[in-house]
Amino acid sequence: MARKKNPGSKLSRREFLALVGTGTSVMAGAGFLTAKFSRRPVEQLIPYVVPPEDYIPGVAAYYNTVCNLCPAGCGITVRIREGRAKKIEGNPAHPVSQGGTCALGQSGLQVLYNPDRLQTPVTRRGERGTGDFHTVGWNSALTTVASHLDKLRLANRGAGVGLLTGDIRGHLDDLLIQFLGLMGSGRYLQYAFTNPTNLYSANAASFDTAQLPYYDIANSDFLLSFGADFLGMWVSPVSYSRAYGDFRQGRREGEDKGPRRQRGQLVQIEPRMSLTGANADIWVPAVPGTEGALALGIAHIIAGGAGRFAAALAEFDPPRVAEISGVEASTIERLARSFGDAKAPLAIGGGGAAAGTNGVPNLVAINLLNHLAGNIGREGGVVFNPKPAFGRTGMQRHGSYLDLLAFVEEIADVDDGVLIIAGTNPLYDFPGDERLVRALQRIPLVVGLSSFMDETMQYADIVLPVNSYLEGWGDDAPEPGVGMRVASISQPVVAPLYDTMDVGDVFIRLAQRMDRDMQRAMPWPDFHAYLRNAWRRMYDKRRDKLDYVDFDAFWTAVLEAGVWGETRRASQRNEFHAQVDYEPPVHAGNDVDYPWYFQPFVSQGFFDGRGANLPWQQELPDPMTSIVYGSWIELNPRTANELGVDEGDILEVSSPAGSLRAPVWITQGIRPDTVAMPIGQGHTSFGRYATGRGANPLSILSAQVDSRTGAFAWGATRVNLTPTGERIRFVKTGGWSRTLDRQILGPRSGETQEGGDHG
Amino acid sequence: MSLIKDLFTNWSVWRRPGYFESFDYSWGMVIDLDRCTGCEACVVACTAENNLPIVGEKRFSENREIKWIRIERYWSGEYPNAKLSFIPMLCQHCDQAPCEIACPVSATYHNQDGLNTQIYNRCIGTRTCAVYCPYEVRFFNWFSYTWDAPLEQQLNPDVTVREKGVMEKCTFCIQRIREAKDHAKDDGRRRLREGDIQPACAQACPTKAIVFGDRNDPDSQVAQMASDARGYTVLKELNTSPSIVYLRRVDQEHV
Amino acid sequence: MSVSVREALGAFKPAAIAVGIALAAYIAGWVAYEVFFPGTAPVQPIEFSHVIHAGDYQIDCQYCHIYAARSTTAGVPAVEKCMGCHKVIATDKPEIQKLTDYWNSRQAIPWIKVHDLADFVYFPHKRHVQAEVACQTCHGEVQTMARIERVAPLSMKWCVGCHEEREVENGRDCWTCHK
Repeated sequence: MARKKNPGSKLSRREFLALVGTGTSVMAGAGFLTAKFSRRPVEQLIPYVVPPEDYIPGVAAYYNTVCNLCPAGCGITVRIREGRAKKIEGNPAHPVSQGGTCALGQSGLQVLYNPDRLQTPVTRRGERGTGDFHTVGWNSALTTVASHLDKLRLANRGAGVGLLTGDIRGHLDDLLIQFLGLMGSGRYLQYAFTNPTNLYSANAASFDTAQLPYYDIANSDFLLSFGADFLGMWVSPVSYSRAYGDFRQGRREGEDKGPRRQRGQLVQIEPRMSLTGANADIWVPAVPGTEGALALGIAHIIAGGAGRFAAALAEFDPPRVAEISGVEASTIERLARSFGDAKAPLAIGGGGAAAGTNGVPNLVAINLLNHLAGNIGREGGVVFNPKPAFGRTGMQRHGSYLDLLAFVEEIADVDDGVLIIAGTNPLYDFPGDERLVRALQRIPLVVGLSSFMDETMQYADIVLPVNSYLEGWGDDAPEPGVGMRVASISQPVVAPLYDTMDVGDVFIRLAQRMDRDMQRAMPWPDFHAYLRNAWRRMYDKRRDKLDYVDFDAFWTAVLEAGVWGETRRASQRNEFHAQVDYEPPVHAGNDVDYPWYFQPFVSQGFFDGRGANLPWQQELPDPMTSIVYGSWIELNPRTANELGVDEGDILEVSSPAGSLRAPVWITQGIRPDTVAMPIGQGHTSFGRYATGRGANPLSILSAQVDSRTGAFAWGATRVNLTPTGERIRFVKTGGWSRTLDRQILGPRSGETQEGGDHG
Repeated sequence: MSLIKDLFTNWSVWRRPGYFESFDYSWGMVIDLDRCTGCEACVVACTAENNLPIVGEKRFSENREIKWIRIERYWSGEYPNAKLSFIPMLCQHCDQAPCEIACPVSATYHNQDGLNTQIYNRCIGTRTCAVYCPYEVRFFNWFSYTWDAPLEQQLNPDVTVREKGVMEKCTFCIQRIREAKDHAKDDGRRRLREGDIQPACAQACPTKAIVFGDRNDPDSQVAQMASDARGYTVLKELNTSPSIVYLRRVDQEHV
Repeated sequence: MSVSVREALGAFKPAAIAVGIALAAYIAGWVAYEVFFPGTAPVQPIEFSHVIHAGDYQIDCQYCHIYAARSTTAGVPAVEKCMGCHKVIATDKPEIQKLTDYWNSRQAIPWIKVHDLADFVYFPHKRHVQAEVACQTCHGEVQTMARIERVAPLSMKWCVGCHEEREVENGRDCWTCHK
């Protein structure tokens, strides 16, 4: 077809061709460049300089170690790929965890890889408590501390040096005692908010054994739990959860072919429904602190007016107990009958029942139930542990709230006092009074050993960064254990991420920088060597009984298995030594100005607050409410009605000691005269995920203590509630809280699902 | 036309419950609600294993959280007779999955092991499957999430980190199934043995409420437990034929 | 009023031709880049020759790529491995001196990846090695390459093609290779 010249065109032929040519080459260039830049960037293939010996790239390696996020001491297995920790599982060979973990234990990886970890030693620049620190080298930090300690020691004033730690067990504890001994000081205290101080004391009083027994829940068929949230975070949650599963099935996991016992029944007595309360067959909301009376009331019926305790129990007839505890007399009789008729009844006490001013008498009364049932040392009962393979028990190590106050104040009163704080954060989980802070301010030198800049570390002069538990060495004899001697070694599963050290190494390095006597007394090159030595002594003692070629074989075998134990059990006679009586609880605040009992509770995600800096835990819905990222206060609908508030309305919660603000959560699982708040949020300094989030209920508690032990009575404060008129929308998972008659939880008992066939 | 005919034939065959009995495995799960305590260890375990993102408080409040397994809670009764029941909810790996019909690009399909799977590369993000799913266990990535360094060092190299615009859901830890099959082949075994595989949730569960296994093997623990009198499937009236059988919690109020 | 569709369309003809030419040019440019700069044989930091090692001396592949039979990754030899021989062999060659420099400064050699699979692909070398798939099937006749070059397209079509041909068990299931 002949091309017609376009009459409107002003282009000459030459211009037209130039235009086409330019256009074409521009487009071709564009195509060329698009191809170039749309290609995947060049990747490099970086080999090792020296190949790793202990793993193959692309193949997972597994190391056994010990979890230390709570004092239970679960054995864990960590999956490692290319030298990085990927996943934590329970160690199936470990008798405490038996292959399971809790939610917090899973998050240990975020302790290791937490972006807010302390990476180098720091020293204080500004005022104490302001968080103004600057970086120093290990060498200068250690030399500063060592020369200070050395000076004191040589001047025979080492007695003013104190050491405050959290839960440090095993041979590290021995090393610390030795270090302080060399300093000429006996000031060594452990303090943990959750330590069951009252339970130790009650067991000492009742059974003459100051230890935590192993409650054989799995083999029990009727479990009466007074406030012990053993499915939540009480004492040893993984071990007890496993036992609970078997308790419900009436047989041990793996015995699937064996005969079933009766399905175990669980009764939970507590004013606010905990996770354990939610799983109980019957939840009995008793008045906070009156659990002891209830236990005595049940004992009264079981004993039937006979026996050694008849006189002491005489006045605890059902009507009187009903009046004290707010539980109907018929319920008390029913519980007593069931407890008395059960083949293997078991009573445990903890949580709120142990956290009043009358914690010990309450627990003694609960112990009496076990004594009357003949439970001591029996299968399905209360099994006491033999003396641990090494180390001191929690009773020996831990101090109560009053002990801690006295401890810190004494050091403050000494000239040249030094306080070393490792692995505990008392400024978070202490009541709101300023005594501890004031005492800390007066101590000339406070040295902190920590992985995070928490509330307490803000008051330190020098903070030394320590390894996370996945990077360092240690060992552990778990408490309460499982009725047998169990010990495990904690080994590093990854190389330390930063320039950090084990706590033990810090003290060995300090000794090495001090005078010759100190160096000679602590001659180990590092804590690993110390630990091996200690285990060698254990091995030598048992050499004949152990079936290993030499110590090295034994050590390797324990490292590989993650656990070592002896099957010998302790013998414990069913003798009861204590006097039983009911002591009414004392609450701070009168019931006119402060009409509600205030019950803080240990939360599933954060334990005593230490889990709050882990993003997985922050984003883990609370089991009871599904709330994430915040605090709340639980109210009975009747209370909410009375106050005229609805879900999300912010209340001013005031106690004799202080006040805080928290949004309302309305729940059927709480007494109308009680309000409850979760512990864990409300940190003022704990990294980016925790700081400034929610409120800390412990901060408004009065400094109430147990009348016998001086333990912090965190369930003995009353509060007043005032609506503020403000409100928030809860951040939580969606969905209905009622099934609306859909068969989501299965057909009602007795019915089968329509259609019948399943699976 | 034969292509379309093939498609229709396969469609009807592959959507018949139990079609995979002719295959090696049919992975399934039994969750005993009498053992489950609602402790949520499974939730964190799943997050850790499958590189689930931390979405942050703001996005969580917009219901954009990603949790392949969650614990649902249902209240009944009123104080003082209030009761709370928990049920772990995750992808039911339905044999007749509504999501599979929904997807316009077949990014979700049933594989030979009886798994309802999601192909991230194929997904174009219409979110239809999430609408069709009666269990609400499909999650859409509204954003590409990041990890604050060095948290990313924990990410599982066997699982893709999903980007903005794709749907994701429980895979029954297919990476573990694949690894176990690899190990079996290394050992010269053609079939997996009972207990070779545990998804992260089942492994973490402290009460051992979650049991995982091959429903095609009549001796397996899942197959045996599924025939328990307490067994039921959730929302059975929708005929989705789930691979997860729940065992009802025992009501025992007469103490 | 009647409108001729033909005529109306005809008005767009020059524009259509212009777009057509532009598109053709764009594609040609793209193709030219792929043809002239395929990037399948990048210059490496050290001119390592598989001809000498795998060809002339017939060293077994797995002598250096030690993980191939037991891991997903084949493993690029560690610098220490290279030095195992090259402490004494051919130490006067300039490329070996480069290697020695890396070793002396304890640095890894930043090789450029030639066979690069996307991160969402699960490719276990061990499965293929154990199934006796020759290395050359995917990597080409390596023993003749002075500079390593990608021969296979490493596309999904290519992978699945081989799986189908060999009737690999579940070889067409998405989750066999995707992760």
